Amino acid sequence: MTGESGMDNYGLPDLSVNGVSDAVGGKYGNVRIDGVIKVVGDIEAQSFKLNGVIRTTGSVKSESFECDGTLKVAGSLSASQMRMNGLVNVEGALSGEWLRLNGLLKIKGDCEFERVEGEGGFDVDGLLNAGSIHLKLQGRGKAREIGVESLYIRQGAKSLWSKVWKWLFPKFNPELQAGVIEGDDIDVEHTKADVIRGSRVVIGKGSVIGRVEYGTELQVHPGATIRERVKTGG
Amino acid sequence: MDRDLISKKELLDTTGISYGQLYRWKRKQLIPEEWFIRKSTFTGQETFFPKDLILARIDKIVNMKDDLSLDQVAGKLSPLLQDYELRKAAFVERNIVSLVAIHQFAGKDPDHTVYSFEMLLYFYVIDKLLQTGEMTMEEGERLLTVLRDHFPKFEGKPCDLIFIRKMGVSSFLLVSSDAHVYFDNGIKIVAKLPMVELIEQLRGKLI
Repeated sequence: MTGESGMDNYGLPDLSVNGVSDAVGGKYGNVRIDGVIKVVGDIEAQSFKLNGVIRTTGSVKSESFECDGTLKVAGSLSASQMRMNGLVNVEGALSGEWLRLNGLLKIKGDCEFERVEGEGGFDVDGLLNAGSIHLKLQGRGKAREIGVESLYIRQGAKSLWSKVWKWLFPKFNPELQAGVIEGDDIDVEHTKADVIRGSRVVIGKGSVIGRVEYGTELQVHPGATIRERVKTGG
Repeated sequence: MDRDLISKKELLDTTGISYGQLYRWKRKQLIPEEWFIRKSTFTGQETFFPKDLILARIDKIVNMKDDLSLDQVAGKLSPLLQDYELRKAAFVERNIVSLVAIHQFAGKDPDHTVYSFEMLLYFYVIDKLLQTGEMTMEEGERLLTVLRDHFPKFEGKPCDLIFIRKMGVSSFLLVSSDAHVYFDNGIKIVAKLPMVELIEQLRGKLI
């Protein structure tokens, strides 16, 4: 199942597993997993390509990470470049440079990226901290706290997809929910938040916000409700 | 014993940085996780910072970031200088620690002995307490053993050194900074030193 082959694997063995089985953690060059696989222990590699139903009992670390299907990580997951298609569930923290999301993300810990883009939904129990977030919500986007340089959230087109999600998960409205959102440039719609603090803030239709504190600019759609608005700074 | 805290909003107002910058620096680990203190207030959850530490740190980042990339800045800020080494002779020349202390605690080491940053830190801490006249030379010896044996166990996480005395008998404690410690009435706290600040001070003198 493991073998020394391929270039650019830094002298580490590659791991290739398929079918229904267990794989052993450790340090690898390139990892390719297809099927229904349980990875036992922490695993670290240059690149991951996962297909199917994968579960790990430890943490995952990589340069590049691609996942199609469902993934459940018992520890934390960190990879510089990430592409996630499907359902991803991480018990610890999720971190990296770039995340392209197409599906649903559920993170127990904090989530840190320089750039997040794509579509789907997320549920972050901790702090979602990113340079820029540009997402089309097909399901619910939820985080305790969001801290960003720029945040751009739109509701995905009410396509067949959203109907499927709603059918799968009853209260699955494509809306953003957060306790606190803080950032330089915030542009959201269909958002429920206790507090939004930012320099330039745009609140789109369908939003209900407790309090907005803005520095330079605030735009509010007539279809949004804001209980209290405060201009801060000079 | 509580440190002076500053709320996030006050911090941004006084320093003029933005939310985005603050979160960016947190991601780059320029500001340690432990400094983000979440507290409930009447307006809901708010984040506070240890005032002196965060103001000094932001001042440093702002000054450095013009010439260096954020990753380079991060390297300069990590609490302990990982690869820093200094020969004894050079250390004596820099005049960071008094000659008396060096003579007492490093007297047996030849001039070409190479000290790690941690070791320099121990000398610095001991010298500091000796200078204030709060600690005797023999106690210094004991403190050196305590630091050597236990400080590395914190692995760079913030901790405080507490120096207590009761009926003339002295003791040293190393406790993590977020811990609460209470003593009986007979105990006199001679000194409580946040190691993070001492590390910063020593780094400032070395670099």
